[in-house]
Amino acid sequence: MSIWSHIFREIGFRKINALFSLLGLTLAVTVVVASQLLAEADERETRRVTRDMGFNLRLIPAETDLGQFYRDGFSRHAMDSAMLDRLATHLTNNVSFNHLVGSLRREYTINGQDILLVGLSETYVVPGQGKKSMGFDIKKNTIHIGSEIARMQEKKRDDTMHVGVRQFTVANDPIETGTPDDITIFARLEDAQAVLGLAGKINEIEAIDCLCLTADQDPLAILRKEIGGILPEVQVVQKRTLADARAKQRQTREKVNQFVLPSVMVASVVWVALLAVLNVRDRRQEIGVLRALGKGGGRIAGLFLGKAALLGLAAATVGAVLGTWAVLEFGPSLFPVTKKAIQANPTLAWQLVVATPVFAAFASFIPAMLAVSHDPAETLRED
Amino acid sequence: MIRCDEVTKKFRKNGSEVTSLDRFSAEVVEGEFVAVHGPSGSGKTTLLLTLGGMQRPSAGTVQFGGRNLYALSPADRARLRSSEIGFVFQMFHLVPYLDLLGNVLLAAPGKKLGQAQRQRAAALLDELGLAKRATHRPGELSAGERQRLAVARALLNRPKLILADEPTGNLDPENAAEVIRHLAEFHRAGGTVVLVTHGSAADTQADRILRLEQGRLLAN
Ligand SMILES: Nc1ncnc2c1ncn2[C@@H]1O[C@H](COP(=O)(O)OP(=O)(O)OP(=O)(O)O)[C@@H](O)[C@H]1O
Ligand SMILES: [Mg+2]
Repeated sequence: MSIWSHIFREIGFRKINALFSLLGLTLAVTVVVASQLLAEADERETRRVTRDMGFNLRLIPAETDLGQFYRDGFSRHAMDSAMLDRLATHLTNNVSFNHLVGSLRREYTINGQDILLVGLSETYVVPGQGKKSMGFDIKKNTIHIGSEIARMQEKKRDDTMHVGVRQFTVANDPIETGTPDDITIFARLEDAQAVLGLAGKINEIEAIDCLCLTADQDPLAILRKEIGGILPEVQVVQKRTLADARAKQRQTREKVNQFVLPSVMVASVVWVALLAVLNVRDRRQEIGVLRALGKGGGRIAGLFLGKAALLGLAAATVGAVLGTWAVLEFGPSLFPVTKKAIQANPTLAWQLVVATPVFAAFASFIPAMLAVSHDPAETLRED
Repeated sequence: MIRCDEVTKKFRKNGSEVTSLDRFSAEVVEGEFVAVHGPSGSGKTTLLLTLGGMQRPSAGTVQFGGRNLYALSPADRARLRSSEIGFVFQMFHLVPYLDLLGNVLLAAPGKKLGQAQRQRAAALLDELGLAKRATHRPGELSAGERQRLAVARALLNRPKLILADEPTGNLDPENAAEVIRHLAEFHRAGGTVVLVTHGSAADTQADRILRLEQGRLLAN
């Protein structure tokens, strides 16, 4: 008789034992899938929230007086936009910053209204990361205007508007934000440079620190060292609230990986092993008979390891579906901002489908060895 | 066919020593039907398991077809059991979750079942009056039917030797006679049988009767 039909019939006969094993493994797979998907969603959530709030690293000319900088919101000094290009060439997976945008920010006056004029370069990211550009994409000959400017200058989307000697089209629907953005005009960097007569100049590089630093490292010191090595002419300012939000989120993920996952694994190993031991005890007579019929240790171990692997396969399939379903079903209410970003992870599912049978067989290894080493003479004389 | 020389089996439990077989020597020739009598605890089961290569003696040798049984590797001993020896136990020792056909076919060696083996298993069930129950499980059978199933399983691989341990111990006289009849048939066809019992159900069929007492063979 083939070992698999033998295993299937035994499972069908001792349903409770198999069911409990299956439940334990399914629960474990479900928890692993759900916690991973939630951690991914959490990460997307934080990234998205902080992205909406802006960049958290500000690189400004070294000679800037911080008093002036914080009072005005920008540096009165300027630096060459070539510095942005220089920093961008150092963007790799080994540095702690990413998403570079050069900006030129100055006060300006339009028809007697005091405003801020901001020119933004394109976004530089680590090659091959394929992330979407941060902030907004400003098209040629267009500007984005704040709500207060729209009100005072009586402009709306698609209207033309003069800034200095140049003419632009308003590309956005101005919405009140309650921030300085309401009195800001965002233009392409070259356009702002031309209007302000500061060709080739910027006064800030905005960036985001990456999520790769561990809790015991001082991120700012590392960032200053890295950036200072490339651009000694800048000083680095970090908005801590954003940085801390990111760090906290990263640590949550680490906690999940360091504590939840190992606990789930240990618990399920113990559970599966315990049920396998009970199963071996139940089947001592059968083991004795198999020996009397001339079956070897390989076949006997195979009955238990094969059963575990089979249950692992079933549990992985059910658990992956169940965990994914739970996150897709309940995730959106937990992570409202990124609800569209909550998604299944087929790679993880496949990995679990392969790994769980191996894992279950591993958990059943000692019980299987118990079965093999059983003295058949003992059980065969029992009544 | 099978020969014991000074076979001794001692068990040590909680410090005290029990001698189940005490310098047991005997020979069974091919084609013989030997009944072993002895009171409870005299070492009958121990003898049978030792003859079947299931329990290594503490001293002495067991020869099977001229080969020292316990000098073989475990794998070779298992192969020998599978191809040349059939067991029948008092408690049947059937596998509860396999149907009757599955229980008989469990004895088949190798991984793949051949058509010939299936046909033989079905024929054996038929011969032992169990054909109609082929898809039932052992739990649904009477004691007599269970023991006949065990006999069918023992016969599947056309063994040279059947070792039967009180095969009628749990059966009423009619069913006991039926099981003995099947063993006698196997014997008539040239098979060797060693049957241990404390009763006398098989005496009329046996060529020879050995008596065991406290692990020792009594002189006739
Ligand atoms: N594994 C063991 N550990 C300790 N003592 C054992 C063991 N197996 C058998 N014995 C002892 O060996 C002696 C012989 O046992 P055995 O089962 O061979 O007797 P038996 O003749 O088959 O008895 P019965 O007719 O009751 O089946 C008994 O005293 C028994 O208690
Ligand atoms: Mg006995």
